[in-house]
Amino acid sequence: MKRFLMICCIILIQIPYFINAQSYNLYEDKRCKCICPSINAVLNNTDSTERILVIANVGQARCDCDSVILPKYADKIKGKEQEFCPRCECKHENRNTTVIKVVVIIVIWIISLLSIYMLFLNLLEPLLNKRSKQNYQEHLDEDDASSMHQDPNAHNLPMVNVNASRSNVLNRVTNQQDKWKRQVQEQRQRIYDRHSMLN
Amino acid sequence: MDDHNEFQMTTSNSTEFTETVGFSGYSDFHTIDWQKDLARDRMRHRYIIKRRQNSLWELIKGAHDALSGWLCVLLVGLVTGCVAGVIDIGASWMTDLKHGICPQAFWLNREQCCWSSNETTFDAGNCSQWVTWSEIIVSAKDGFGAYIVMYFFYIFWALLFSSLAALLVKNFAPYACGSGIPEIKTILSGFIIRGYLGKWTLIIKSVGIILSVSAGLSLGKEGPMVHIASCIGNILSYLFPKYGRNEAKKREILSAAAAAGVSVAFGAPIGGVLFSLEEVSYYFPLKTLWRSFFCALIAAFILRSINPFGNEHSVLFFVEYSKPWIFVELLPFIFLGVMGGCIGTLFIKANIYWCKFRKCSKLGQYPVAEVIIVTLITAVIAFPNPYTRMNTSELIYLLFSQCGISSGDPICDYKRNFTNVNQAIEIAAAGPGVYHAIWLLILAMIVKLIMTIFTFGIKVPCGLFIPSLCLGAIMGRIVGIGMEQLAYNYSKNWIFSGECTQGDDCIQPGLYAMVGAAAVLGGVTRMTVSLVVIMFELTGGVRYIVPLMAAAMASKWVGDALGRQGIYDAHIALNGYPFLDSKDEFQHTTLAGDVMQPKRNEGLAVITQDSLTIDDIEVLLKETEHNGYPVVVSRENQYLVGFVLRKDLNLALANAKRNFDGISGQSLVIFTNTSIVQNLGPAPLKLKKILDLSPITVTDQTPMETVVDMFRKLGLRQILVTHNGRLLGVITKKDVLRHVKQMDNEDPSTILFN
Repeated sequence: MKRFLMICCIILIQIPYFINAQSYNLYEDKRCKCICPSINAVLNNTDSTERILVIANVGQARCDCDSVILPKYADKIKGKEQEFCPRCECKHENRNTTVIKVVVIIVIWIISLLSIYMLFLNLLEPLLNKRSKQNYQEHLDEDDASSMHQDPNAHNLPMVNVNASRSNVLNRVTNQQDKWKRQVQEQRQRIYDRHSMLN
Repeated sequence: MDDHNEFQMTTSNSTEFTETVGFSGYSDFHTIDWQKDLARDRMRHRYIIKRRQNSLWELIKGAHDALSGWLCVLLVGLVTGCVAGVIDIGASWMTDLKHGICPQAFWLNREQCCWSSNETTFDAGNCSQWVTWSEIIVSAKDGFGAYIVMYFFYIFWALLFSSLAALLVKNFAPYACGSGIPEIKTILSGFIIRGYLGKWTLIIKSVGIILSVSAGLSLGKEGPMVHIASCIGNILSYLFPKYGRNEAKKREILSAAAAAGVSVAFGAPIGGVLFSLEEVSYYFPLKTLWRSFFCALIAAFILRSINPFGNEHSVLFFVEYSKPWIFVELLPFIFLGVMGGCIGTLFIKANIYWCKFRKCSKLGQYPVAEVIIVTLITAVIAFPNPYTRMNTSELIYLLFSQCGISSGDPICDYKRNFTNVNQAIEIAAAGPGVYHAIWLLILAMIVKLIMTIFTFGIKVPCGLFIPSLCLGAIMGRIVGIGMEQLAYNYSKNWIFSGECTQGDDCIQPGLYAMVGAAAVLGGVTRMTVSLVVIMFELTGGVRYIVPLMAAAMASKWVGDALGRQGIYDAHIALNGYPFLDSKDEFQHTTLAGDVMQPKRNEGLAVITQDSLTIDDIEVLLKETEHNGYPVVVSRENQYLVGFVLRKDLNLALANAKRNFDGISGQSLVIFTNTSIVQNLGPAPLKLKKILDLSPITVTDQTPMETVVDMFRKLGLRQILVTHNGRLLGVITKKDVLRHVKQMDNEDPSTILFN
């Protein structure tokens, strides 16, 4: 339940980003990137480190000097095209911004979910546990005992409780969570305390 | 019919005992019995074939069973490709977050943000869409204030990312730290580490590697990618009971998954298959080879379609070469190999020393603090040097690539004139930028080497392929520039005069960088074939196989001469994993009788075939902790009958007590066929079904060489030792491992074993 609420919160926080993302449509998915030496290099044969960068939105077949550079600089390099063009490097590149967007947002989500869950486990749960232990001392003890023995049939026993099915599911979830926590605790001991693995 | 019953019994066993011993019937930190598991699978297979004639449904089930191996690796390949794509995109975005942000579309990294901008400057690839942190805070791109702000933000993000990674690892999945390859090797050799390939490990390792790579630590994501792929293989194998419930069969899927991991890490499918074969796998039949091939292919294809770097390849540092190399260059290539071997050994020694120190001293008690301190030092040192500031993959790409018109880095600052049309690039004298860059690169190399020694082993996901490639690439590039200038200045010399005609660009520093990278990686991991194939797939040029092979071989020779073990084997030995290396030779003259348990004067815990009661056996089970018991004819005549496993015995006794009437503590347990006519007392319990009638036995005079070989090649769990046909003792894998350690003068008690 707590986890569900948390997920809802995160979704609400992230919605503005999505709307923002929808309305944004400036970036193209393919480009042809051409880099040429300075035009001076062919005109008066002087060495120059200045270079020209041209990025055009054309298909792979038309990604060359003739269709990308020449239309832009035709007047400057009149007659010298055949000399200028072999020195240009043109590269066609493809990407998918939608995939990038979705992946990055998923990554942000997962990281924030995990961080919040981590904070919850470390800060809030000890407090909550303390309170609930005061109220339901006996019940929790019994639960602990059953999970300690790892009895596989524990949750299949007929419950005396009226809303048995609900508490059954809840029990099972808490059982699973406890089991997982115990496993992590064991791993932690093995690695951080005893240093018997992964050094 | 007998097959049938037994098959059903084994399946029911495993379902009932999943809670305590898992699906496969092994406990945590135990070795598996390859022979038995494979036999179990063959039995299951025979059963399915027999049932196939019965109905169409059974036929479909049989077909599904035959297909399930391929289906499973297909799924593994698909998922691995997707996860790798997520990691690549996430890491490249987050790495650039250290420098600035793309406000119009925050999910784009710098390169993508300046995608269609014509104003990209050549020095840092900045454009107006990309806003650096200094522009946001002090609204200036250059200057002292901006530098300080950038420095601060670089350190801030690095600390944030790395501490988050360390905390996530500590809180959710401690098994996710490190590279994972030593552990995968151990698991594939037949060891059970519960949870090492689980869901949480997968999630935390994927997220953690994004964070730790973005933090700018001196580590790479390639090794963890193998672990991630193996996690995927393990999780998906549970969809197919044939693999999920049989640990030996599951390892076939894991081998294929490891291949897929390298395949996506380097965009090298064949290299991945060979890596799995050469470095990680233990049991690798041809069937697994083909499946690995398919799995690696699918994974590479998926990653390639996701196209995470926008260069139509699955790695950032893909370069394309076509220029030939000249024969004389073989000498510097071999020199690079020798240097690679030295650097590799130096790295291994220093890293193992540091890891030992961490293991034994107080430092090991502060894993998160250690990560934060290492990050802080790395970030503070890395930022002032542009070559350490940039992403390591980008640096490798820069070093691998040739200098052309498009490269604006100082390393390409040659005194070239672009007057000759036919040759856009020609050999030229190095400008001051190149010399400056060389000094910076030497500094970068020293920093990277030292930082990687301290980084590999901290408690975040970290691999060392990228750092070692980077070290080698720097070394190679420097040697390459030196050779190039030599050829330029002495082009008339007989060495160069043949191939290097005037002005021809016959020496390419980029190729040297690649050979150097292969050499250092070879020195660190001691790979040969798979390394060369990976490098060759990275360049797409067949003609560089010979230089790469020469360097890899030289590096392996030098490395092996200086220190016996590669980094992964050294870490296996450091942690004491029960790994019987098939590469090592056992060269001592001990006999099986010296190694077996119990020693001469102690009693052996045995079960007699027809004279023990249930109570006796329960007492025996309580008093001893062996995983199995030999069954003999009688106490006086200890002739061997068979071997029975503890868990089978436990299960059978519990079952009998529950299900059969008239069985009490006084009932005899009988492991023979002949039923003894016995009127008094309760009915006997027949347990011949659980008895293994064909245990592997050797005599006590068998040399340990043979015994160790049997353990290695057959994947045994235990061997029974007899003398004159009478049972003397048992040798378990643990005994063998201890013995090997003892013979090598190491402490045998460090072996991790339950």
